[in-house]
Amino acid sequence: MRHGRRARVRRALLNGVGVALTCVFLFPLYWILVSSLKTNAEIFQVTQTFWPAHTNLVAYLDQLHGEFNVLKPLLNSLIIAPATLVLSMALAIPAAYGVARFAIRGKKAIIMSFLVTQMLPSTLILTPLYLVFARLRLINNYFSPIIADSTIAIPFIILFLRTYFIGLPKGLEDSARIDGCNRFSAFLRIILPISIPGLVTAGSFAFIFAWNDLMYAITFMNQTSMRPLTAQIYHFMGKYGIEWNRIMAFGVILVLPVIIIFTLLQKYIIGGLTSGAVKG
Amino acid sequence: MRRATYEKGDRRVGYLWVLPALAFMVAFIGYPIVYNLILSFQKVDVMNIKTAVKPFIGIDNYKEIFSGDVLSTSVMNTLFFTIGCLVLQFSIGFALALFFTSGFRLQIRLRGLLTVAWMVPSTVVALLFKFMLSPSCGILNYILVGIGILREPIGWLTSSSTALWGTIIANTWIGIPFNMILLTAGISGIPDELYESAAIDGATSAQRFFWITLPLLKPAMYAVLILGFVYTFKVFDLIYVMTNGGPVHATEVLSTYAYKLSFERFHFSEGAAAANVLFACLFIVALGYLRLVRGDEEIRA
Repeated sequence: MRHGRRARVRRALLNGVGVALTCVFLFPLYWILVSSLKTNAEIFQVTQTFWPAHTNLVAYLDQLHGEFNVLKPLLNSLIIAPATLVLSMALAIPAAYGVARFAIRGKKAIIMSFLVTQMLPSTLILTPLYLVFARLRLINNYFSPIIADSTIAIPFIILFLRTYFIGLPKGLEDSARIDGCNRFSAFLRIILPISIPGLVTAGSFAFIFAWNDLMYAITFMNQTSMRPLTAQIYHFMGKYGIEWNRIMAFGVILVLPVIIIFTLLQKYIIGGLTSGAVKG
Repeated sequence: MRRATYEKGDRRVGYLWVLPALAFMVAFIGYPIVYNLILSFQKVDVMNIKTAVKPFIGIDNYKEIFSGDVLSTSVMNTLFFTIGCLVLQFSIGFALALFFTSGFRLQIRLRGLLTVAWMVPSTVVALLFKFMLSPSCGILNYILVGIGILREPIGWLTSSSTALWGTIIANTWIGIPFNMILLTAGISGIPDELYESAAIDGATSAQRFFWITLPLLKPAMYAVLILGFVYTFKVFDLIYVMTNGGPVHATEVLSTYAYKLSFERFHFSEGAAAANVLFACLFIVALGYLRLVRGDEEIRA
């Protein structure tokens, strides 16, 4: 009995410490939300408040109109990120299936090159891409960040989905082919439907890569009307550097979709993070 | 793995599946890498960007950037930043991984919650920490002064002696979940029987940690450190937003330096050369890692 009670106390203690650690670690996310609900006067008070004295939405309402409204950049982000998702998935899904299921000569080299690509600094291709896009008149065009963001997403998706496809039982395609399906229709009708968890995870990574990107956005989209959220918040900061409540409200809008996606797909995303990074 | 792949006749068909993605990667990564190399030996700036003829000037761009102080400052800052972040995020991430695998009800759920920091856009993390580190209204100064560690608020990002530490703190916050998750996967992969039989043999928990956990975790630790090094070494967004490399290059890293050469001063060729220096540094580290891993295998064999 005494042993049982000690174990129970230990477990309760561990749970408590775990919750406390999590709260401390996630405090910055709490702080961004609380600060966005304060007035700037309250933020600059000598005594900091951990909950707004007068909760107000001024910082959010300000973003709906005027020079620094959030609607156009939000729209731009909502074009660039889903388009990156579609383009990179369209190219990467078949490629992942190809390297998972076919005996291709030079397969190791191909997989290796995707691995290396993932590690390359974006700065390395930034200047040449800019010069190429400028020559093609694609600066301030949605295509340039979509293409550039896809160079990050495609290798990740291929490596991630390759392990996913290898894990599927091989008998699936064989029985489909006996039933008269050719390989492509077996892929469409059998493999894709049962891979939906993997596909959703891969797609959300592509979306988040593009949604979070700043470097390509500020380089290829220098017109105010074309900037996505990340680039606009950067310029907003340059102009209204100490209006922290507005900046934090802008930050909440930028961070919210990521948190929603993460909450819905947490289990798969953590699995993807582990398999993509360690197993390669 | 023979069974997992189709037979010989399918080889050519297999290429068709891979080809579109491969063509895209060659066009938008392979070609730019080559172009970047050529560019670094040419003279391309805002004056001749639109003309067809770009004169080759040999290694003059490299001479130019190596002759100034900023490149060596950037290399040192990048190294300091990377090592500082790695030490902090690895040790904290490792401690959290051990704690969150010690066996209590909420551990999986809490671990999941912590991971969210890894997904937050670094632009937002940068702004948030810039706000929290501010001398006039920052919560960190407020707390540190409140509990008596600091006598008065310090301007973390405005003083050149603390600015790099400010960016390290912010980046460590993003890096901790990454380290924790990968090390957790490694720890969960260690079979329980090992611990059980060691316990039967009378091993203390410290002995079990040093003789079972650490040696078996080595591959996961290598992986997390080398990936962490690569991801941290190429940092751009975070520093560009937090300090823009300042004050007076105190936080200038190779990425921000290359970016400024190309897109603030429009010396595209020098920007390309600086990016190649960044690439060369990463390449050397990757080679060193390969040798380390191989040497380790030989010793064991």
